[in-house]
Amino acid sequence: MSDLSDTSGAATTGADRIAVASQSQLIWWAFRKHKLAMAGLVITVILYLIGAFAEVLSPEDPNDQDRRAVFQPPQMIHFVDTSAGFSIRPYVYAMERHRDPTSLAVTYTASDRKIYLHLFGKGAPYVFWGLIPGDLHLLATEDPSDRVFLFGADRLGRDMFSRVLYGTRISMSIGLVGVAISLILGVTLGGISGYYGGWVDTAIQRVIEFILSLPTIPVWLALAAALPPSWPIYQQYFVITLIISLVGWTELGRVVRGRFLALKNEDFVIAARLDGASEARIIFRHMLPSLTSHIIASLTLAIPLMILAETGLSFLGLGLQPPAISWGVLLKEAQNIRTISQAPWLFIPGLFVVFSVLAFNFLGDGMRDAADPYEQ
Amino acid sequence: MALVWRARRAKILSLAAAAALAPLAAWAYQEAPALDAAVKAGSLPAVDQRLPEHPDVITPHQAVGTYGGTLRRMLGGSNDHNSILRIIGPQGLTRWTPDFSDVVPNVAESWEVNADATEFTFHLRKGMKWSDGQPFNADDVMFFVDDLLNDKDFYPSAPGNYVVNGQRMTAEKIDDETVKFKFAAPYGLFVQMLATPLAQEPVLWAKHYCKQFLPKYNPDVQKLIAATPGVQDWPSLFRLKCGEVESPTRWGNPDRPVLDPWVTTKEAYTAGATRVVMDRNPYFWQVDTAGNQLPYIDHVAMGVAGDNQTVVLEAAAGHVDMQRRKLDALANKPVLAESADKGGYKFYTLDNAASDTMAIHFNLTDKDPVMRKALNDKNVRIALSLGIDRAEIIDIVYQGTGEPWQIGPKKSSPLYNDQLAHQFTQYDPDKANQMLDAEGFDKKDADGYRLMSDGRRFTFNVNYTGIEQPDWGDALEIIKEQWKKIGIELNATSVERSIYYSRGEANDYDFMVWNSPGGLDAYFDPRDFFPIHPQGSWQAIPWAKWYLSGGKDGEEPDASNKERLALYDQFKQTSDPAKQKEIFGKILQIAADQFEMIGISSAPPLYGVVNKKLGNVPDVIPASWMYPDPAPTLPQTYYWMK
Amino acid sequence: MIWRFIIKRILWMVPFLIAVSMVSFLLIQAPPGDYLTTYIAKLAESNEVMDQASINDLRQRFGLDQSIFVQYWKWISNIVLHGDFGMSFEWRQPVSQLIWERMALTLLLSMATLIFTWAVAFPIGVYSAVRKYSVGDYIATTLGFLGLATPNFLLALILMYIGVVYFGSDVGGLFSDPFKNAPWSWDKVVDLSRHLWLPVVVLGTGSTASLIRIMRANLLDELNKPYVDTARAKGLSEFRLIMKYPVRVALNPFVSTIGWVLPQLVSGAVVTAIVLSLPLSGPLMLQALMSQDMYLAGAFVLMLSSLTVIGMLISDILLVLLDPRVRYE
Repeated sequence: MSDLSDTSGAATTGADRIAVASQSQLIWWAFRKHKLAMAGLVITVILYLIGAFAEVLSPEDPNDQDRRAVFQPPQMIHFVDTSAGFSIRPYVYAMERHRDPTSLAVTYTASDRKIYLHLFGKGAPYVFWGLIPGDLHLLATEDPSDRVFLFGADRLGRDMFSRVLYGTRISMSIGLVGVAISLILGVTLGGISGYYGGWVDTAIQRVIEFILSLPTIPVWLALAAALPPSWPIYQQYFVITLIISLVGWTELGRVVRGRFLALKNEDFVIAARLDGASEARIIFRHMLPSLTSHIIASLTLAIPLMILAETGLSFLGLGLQPPAISWGVLLKEAQNIRTISQAPWLFIPGLFVVFSVLAFNFLGDGMRDAADPYEQ
Repeated sequence: MALVWRARRAKILSLAAAAALAPLAAWAYQEAPALDAAVKAGSLPAVDQRLPEHPDVITPHQAVGTYGGTLRRMLGGSNDHNSILRIIGPQGLTRWTPDFSDVVPNVAESWEVNADATEFTFHLRKGMKWSDGQPFNADDVMFFVDDLLNDKDFYPSAPGNYVVNGQRMTAEKIDDETVKFKFAAPYGLFVQMLATPLAQEPVLWAKHYCKQFLPKYNPDVQKLIAATPGVQDWPSLFRLKCGEVESPTRWGNPDRPVLDPWVTTKEAYTAGATRVVMDRNPYFWQVDTAGNQLPYIDHVAMGVAGDNQTVVLEAAAGHVDMQRRKLDALANKPVLAESADKGGYKFYTLDNAASDTMAIHFNLTDKDPVMRKALNDKNVRIALSLGIDRAEIIDIVYQGTGEPWQIGPKKSSPLYNDQLAHQFTQYDPDKANQMLDAEGFDKKDADGYRLMSDGRRFTFNVNYTGIEQPDWGDALEIIKEQWKKIGIELNATSVERSIYYSRGEANDYDFMVWNSPGGLDAYFDPRDFFPIHPQGSWQAIPWAKWYLSGGKDGEEPDASNKERLALYDQFKQTSDPAKQKEIFGKILQIAADQFEMIGISSAPPLYGVVNKKLGNVPDVIPASWMYPDPAPTLPQTYYWMK
Repeated sequence: MIWRFIIKRILWMVPFLIAVSMVSFLLIQAPPGDYLTTYIAKLAESNEVMDQASINDLRQRFGLDQSIFVQYWKWISNIVLHGDFGMSFEWRQPVSQLIWERMALTLLLSMATLIFTWAVAFPIGVYSAVRKYSVGDYIATTLGFLGLATPNFLLALILMYIGVVYFGSDVGGLFSDPFKNAPWSWDKVVDLSRHLWLPVVVLGTGSTASLIRIMRANLLDELNKPYVDTARAKGLSEFRLIMKYPVRVALNPFVSTIGWVLPQLVSGAVVTAIVLSLPLSGPLMLQALMSQDMYLAGAFVLMLSSLTVIGMLISDILLVLLDPRVRYE
């Protein structure tokens, strides 16, 4: 095997490589061919990195209000400064606020004053992951009393850019945690149900049907009402995640069961059984791998569904509550005619939702295709 | 009282004089063209026979109008029946003048009050008719008093507005057009009460129709009950068919005769309704100064929208002719201003009867003894007030309208008390810090928050109803940041309204947030000046319960509140306006000295949209539930300008 | 054999529905407080003072003073014995008057959305499986995902705003004004079909994408099976080859969606229905739940659960018919 690991070796032909490569290598090669999937992977990784380093990447404290910046539109970063000769130095123009006394509408005009920015400057203090205190920001204003609004400001004059970055952390992780819970429940119960059949199947099916047949809204309401208001945000976060994962697992369970039912009479399963393979081996070694593609397809669809479910819950007032920041919370705040007509930049979190959902789907798509053992 | 009464009498006389001056011989009345066909066909009597002998003559706000057209409005999806009431109007015995300053005759043609305000004699209009053409007279009023109000099955406990000294109102029929109401003790505000939506019952129910649901008049009522799903007894059946003052069923039954300008049609208000249409009442008993029977407008059509944003959108599209409910959030004004020309509407102003947009009601009866002690310390309350930068909140949340304000009557009210309104509204965090240090909250934890006497962090965990009032959430988030600077932690969570009230019921809160009424209508809604409202006087709900139950429930109030409650008892039994004002002024002064709750911003004027072609709509209308705007401006006189 | 299976499944529904009714009732009662709390809140806002005695009277009138078991028994026995769903506290109207039309419209909209979803998802799914990685596949899947990725309520609000402000169209709803309360007629049906497309598209976008994915994934699995190669070797035309077997097999999970698509639509449609002012069951149910109007909420929850159970029964039967490998024992 050792010489085969040298993929650049001239003696090794492409066909030989494929014949002897490990499965994970095969999958990776196949995956790379799928361009949209690669793009999806990159975006997903970037989003998780943003979530991980939100404190450093955001220029402001996401809860910092500023009355002078209420509904301030996004500021463009300029790089070339010609005011005092030519220099490359990022800056934005400061904005001035006016309020129309009758319509009460607020408008902003760019002034001549420039707010200079620099990389890794000091800014609002934070505690990274709640553990390490710091005040270094990737992008900071040179004068700490100035503020910069790359995605504009919301109705309390808070920086949308920072809020979106913090929201990324919560929303992206809710999908991941939720889908993990769904996966465990769905595959275990669906698999058992489909493989054993008989009364086990009947019992599990009835339980799944029972849960499915309860309309979700009363369930959510009941659970949300049971949430004590004094709970800290992270505790609420886990309960909401749990509530959301209840959406996904039954569906996955049903699908897995259907596949198991169909698979268990396939020749290769019967052959394994006749060979005296243990049931665990039959399930995990023979049947599950042939389901992987399907499970992955369902999972990659489930993560974005949970991200969306979180936004829906927030809309109904049942999800995370401010001061927690998630895409759902941000979109809920943008849910009104005023935002559409006066402050469309508040819908930027919606773009993030769309991008993340797209990325997940393409990623899952590529993974599914690549993992398919019969491919090529 | 006698003096006031003469003034009123004079007003009626002048109205009558106006009526006499107008060419108002019995044959001179005109009616809407929409009714011509029915009159010609003989299915409807001539207009002279439909009107009472002395119709109520209305002087239109701007001009005598022309007939026809439809008035379009929007209702909220959730149980918005009071929005119908606001346009159709509470047709009570009396009504408010359009400026909310006085009451004038309405269904009653005139009235007299005895010297100690225990007996009220009302004269009805001779020949007046219900919307089905049946006569309206004293029997209908007696039906309410004898068969409903004093029936223990129908009202196990009677509506508070007809109870004085624990005894229900009684009545005596003098003749077909005259009834006398009697109370066990003086009732100084009864005539005003009748003009509010809270006391329409005496003329709400037509005896000839509604009596069929009473076992007294209909021995077979049990059959009706059995035939109606969901109904188990006659009071429920009655309420389903004949409605109540504040009930959706009031607008759900087209068969029920009414005295309103527009009547319910088959497109009635029920839970599934998406559109409600009401048609003109051919027997309506008001005419304009030219003898035209009101209303001018033929139909009132109301769409039903589940989401307030839809109402805003409908208004922006010009599909709403006159409305402020569900769209008057200040945040919507820029949007609506933008589309005003396209939508063909303009704004009208509402003089907000409330006093403050958001008052923080500290719980003086907090279950937690440590917190209770802190909140009962006036200096702590002062410090918390000084720690709020009201100008910032007003600028961000209330679009720069309104001024820093605590609570209490507005400047335009005769009851205005400067101290109550303005004390401690300046922003002074240093002073606040000093005061908190001095009151024993000088120890702080690692995060810079003050500690209470038992070593806990000084934290308020509060709820607010964010669905109805998102602005409170915004304001609380700003206060959270401001109080951080004086070492006080604030965590605010939005909850559903019923959960909010159940926390109040359980006395399970440190402070509650609600708007403060009493800017113009302090007499009728004094809940923030002393604990009178068992659900709304959040500063001390157990004290309110104690007062209302005569000491059986709740907790005994402190001396100052007991003094105010005693003064209020005195006030209620006073019918002389000068004396009323004097006593109420005393109450307000005590409330000011005690400084029990803090407010943020004076309630700014609200706005509504009105179609540019709709005539007779005043530019400024008071806004209050006691004055259910715009009804007292008489929408029956609105008309479509050519 | 198939009949035994169906009868057995129908018999199963009885204890199942009893359990569903109990849990629904418990769920509705779970939040703190009861309808009276809401009612008092409402009165308090219009400054009506309610003393403890009146509150107790009302509680008695509504039967809220009894234990939860007694309340449940009264509720369910009235439904089963008299077909009486009780009285809506909030609307003071018999519940049975309130739910039928909304349920009917909800079913109609769900069916329309289901058909729309299938009509879009089926051909696209087959196409993108057969022409994997073609430009068409990329475009179709990207569009499908975009639909999935946009939160429904956001899409609804924005579409409505654009429609109203720039095109002067009606704001939401399923009918134009003259038809809202009119009896059913041909014109009303036409009017409905004119308004139906917006909610159908908004609601359908989400589920379309997932169905495309599922269809594509299943079909790809099947297309690689040896029997397909065999059939192709035997000279079967490509179209017949795909349609005859692989598509039928791949339809299997497709069919099992019938069961859960309905409750999902009803729950998922709540937000959209609120935004678009649709006279569906969702908004009324949500409002009833919020105000703890328990008989109204209970009726909705019960009806929806029953519909789901029936939907799942249908999908199970179809599954057995379509795929003989799934045994019905």
